[in-house]
Amino acid sequence: MNGWIALSAAIAVFTGIGAGVGIGVATSKAAEAVSRQPEASGKITTITVIGAALAEATAIYGFVVALILLFAKWGT
Amino acid sequence: MDLGKYLSHVMESHVVFSLNIFGVEIPIFDTIIVMWIVMAIVIGLALYFTRNLKQVPEGRQNLIELYIEFVTNFTKSTLGHHAKYFVPYFGTVLLFLAIANAVSIFSIIPSGEQLYHLTGIKFFEHIPEFEIRPPTKDINVTVCMAIMSIILVIGAGIRFKTFKGFLKSFLEPVPIILPFKILDYFIRPLSLSLRLFGNILGAFIVMELIYLASNGFVIPAVFSLYFDLFDGLLQAYIFVFLTSIYVAEAIE
Repeated sequence: MNGWIALSAAIAVFTGIGAGVGIGVATSKAAEAVSRQPEASGKITTITVIGAALAEATAIYGFVVALILLFAKWGT
Repeated sequence: MDLGKYLSHVMESHVVFSLNIFGVEIPIFDTIIVMWIVMAIVIGLALYFTRNLKQVPEGRQNLIELYIEFVTNFTKSTLGHHAKYFVPYFGTVLLFLAIANAVSIFSIIPSGEQLYHLTGIKFFEHIPEFEIRPPTKDINVTVCMAIMSIILVIGAGIRFKTFKGFLKSFLEPVPIILPFKILDYFIRPLSLSLRLFGNILGAFIVMELIYLASNGFVIPAVFSLYFDLFDGLLQAYIFVFLTSIYVAEAIE
């Protein structure tokens, strides 16, 4: 039983893939935007950081689910 | 010591002492004590910075005006001309969350037992074991903040659109959307609170692991800059930013 719980928690953390891809896309677009318009880099940085933090949320949900799986008392 | 046991011990909040008011036992958790410390810091800063305000700012008044201007600009960018009603709330929440998230950089303060060994003063020996950890790693705190935000959103909607207009906004643009609009008011606080909680707890666990692995020698200081300071300030900013977006949507 414990092994299965640990395994399912590990699977829950796979949500990190989505967040990684999302932040990667956001950052690459930001780099493109800065190279096109270097004078707007301040605004672009803010938007990128906020976007990255929002994209991170999915990974955080996976993390929370993994925590619930690991630390919830399973009926016993 | 067993790593899993240690982590789950560190993650939970513990009862430090309990108050007895009219026969009702009220347990005081370490989260609450850290929040008291944060509140004391915020109140102290406010009192210190707002004494002797002058027309032409000088010295410390420059700092606080910089902060007020930052919050005002940021609120104006999302809320437009309604901004002045919301600046005080957003400024307070931002300051509180920023200090609360980053408060664990103060955990360098030695515990009572260490002080006793260092100085030999008997008084320090009886201070109970207590560590400063970010209160936002307790889900109760973040849920509370998120509920405050959603109450602000509903209140602002009723205040600026009247009660009828607020109810009507559930049916716009098409009536079919009603269940989703109602769901919105439950999902938003959920995502707000879980985002803050998960981020802070994740950073906190990583920092604990780094402390364990490096025995607290120099390396944690470098990582603490990112995980405690940068991540904490960023998450506080995002929390307030999302709240302001929700408010803007409600009063439009």
